[in-house]
Amino acid sequence: MGTLLRQIIVNCNNLSRLSIQSNLLKNVNSALLPLAVNKRYSNAPTPYEVVDRKSEEKSNQEVINKVNQLVKDEKTLKLFAVVHVAGKQFKITDGDVIVIEGYWPPTVGDKILLEKVLLAGGSDFTFIGRPVVQKGLVRVEATVIEKTVSHTKTHFRKKRRKQYMRINFYRIPHTYLRINRICINGEVNNPPEVRGLETAIF
Amino acid sequence: MSNSHLFLKPGFIKVPLQNGVGRYVCQLQRVVLKFCKNHGSSRGMRDFIESDLVNFAMDNPAVVVYLKPRRHRSAVIKAEYLNGDQQWLGCKNFTKEEILKWLNLLVTQSQYHTGTRIRKLWHTDNPSIQGPWTPFTFRDPKLNLASFPNEELAKPQDSNETNHEALIELFKKQKLDDLEQRRAE
Repeated sequence: MGTLLRQIIVNCNNLSRLSIQSNLLKNVNSALLPLAVNKRYSNAPTPYEVVDRKSEEKSNQEVINKVNQLVKDEKTLKLFAVVHVAGKQFKITDGDVIVIEGYWPPTVGDKILLEKVLLAGGSDFTFIGRPVVQKGLVRVEATVIEKTVSHTKTHFRKKRRKQYMRINFYRIPHTYLRINRICINGEVNNPPEVRGLETAIF
Repeated sequence: MSNSHLFLKPGFIKVPLQNGVGRYVCQLQRVVLKFCKNHGSSRGMRDFIESDLVNFAMDNPAVVVYLKPRRHRSAVIKAEYLNGDQQWLGCKNFTKEEILKWLNLLVTQSQYHTGTRIRKLWHTDNPSIQGPWTPFTFRDPKLNLASFPNEELAKPQDSNETNHEALIELFKKQKLDDLEQRRAE
C-alpha cells in the first residue's frame, strides 16, 4: 500500500477520512487474506484503532506531494473526470462527445465550464469529491456543437375492454457537448484563501 | 398506430470530424424556402419572409437562404448540410413562429437525424485512463507465487459451517444435555 500504485486522495482540508481509508485497507490485507479477498462487501463495523496523528499526517503529506509533483511534471497528463450535467453523470476525457437530454439553454458555439466535478483523476491518482471536488481545482472546458431532437418516441396507452386508447408522439431536445480540455489548476489540499469567486460576475 | 418507432435503425452518435475541438463550424449550408404567393397555406411562410427573414439571415451569415415562389403548392423548407444530407420539411399552415422554430433547429443540427435511435449518450476515443478492471486488479500479489494444487485456495471462500453441520451440532448438544439431565435425576 505504501507504493504509489493507486492513491486515493480525499480532497478536503481535514484528512481524517483518508486515514480511516488507509486503515481499512491495512486491516483487509492482514486479516482476511487470502480467504476472503473476494468478499464484495462487509457488514462488520469499522474496527476502532488508535491512530498516530503525526505519522498519519506525514504519510498524507507524502501522498499529496507526490500527486502535486505528478501534476506539475507532466503537462500532457491524461485526465478524466466524472461530471454531473443536467441530472446525469458522465465520465469524460479530452475529446469526448456527450449528449444532454431535455431542455438545456446553452446554444451551439457556446464555450462552457462544467463545474460540478464529482471525481477526477489521472493514471496514477484520483480525486474523490465529497460530493464535489473543490471548486476551481479541476477545470473542465466544453463546447456546444449541436442542438437537435431525438427520434420520435411513442407514448401509447390502452385499457383492455374499456374502449380506451390514446397515442401521443414526442421528441426530446438533445444537446451535443464536445469536451475540449480537462486540467488541474493549483495545488492539491492548498485551496485559495477566498473561494467561490472564480466565475462570479459582478 | 404507427410501428415505425419499433423498427428504427439503432446507431451511435455521429459528429462531424473534430467539430468544436478548435472552433465550432455551422453545419447547415443552405436553406430553400418554397412557398406560394396566393395560397392560404403559405401564409405563415409569407409573414415570416416579410418580418423575420432578414434578421434570420443576419444572425446566420454562414447559411445561404434562397426563396422559391411557386404557384398553388404548399410551403416547404429544404435544408442542405455540409455532409451532403438534404432535409425536406413540409410547412403547410405553419405560423411564422413555428417556421422560425424549425429553421433554428435546422441551423443547430449537423445532419438529417430522423430515423436513427442513438444507443449511447457518450462517445470517447479513450474508454479508460486507469485501465479497465480485470479479475486480477486489487488482488494480493502473493497469488502470483502460489503453487498448485493448493489446499488453502481450493477451499470454499466462505468457510462458514453449513446449515446441515449446524443442525448436527445442535443435535449433539441436545443429546449431551439429555445425558446430564438423566444423570442429575
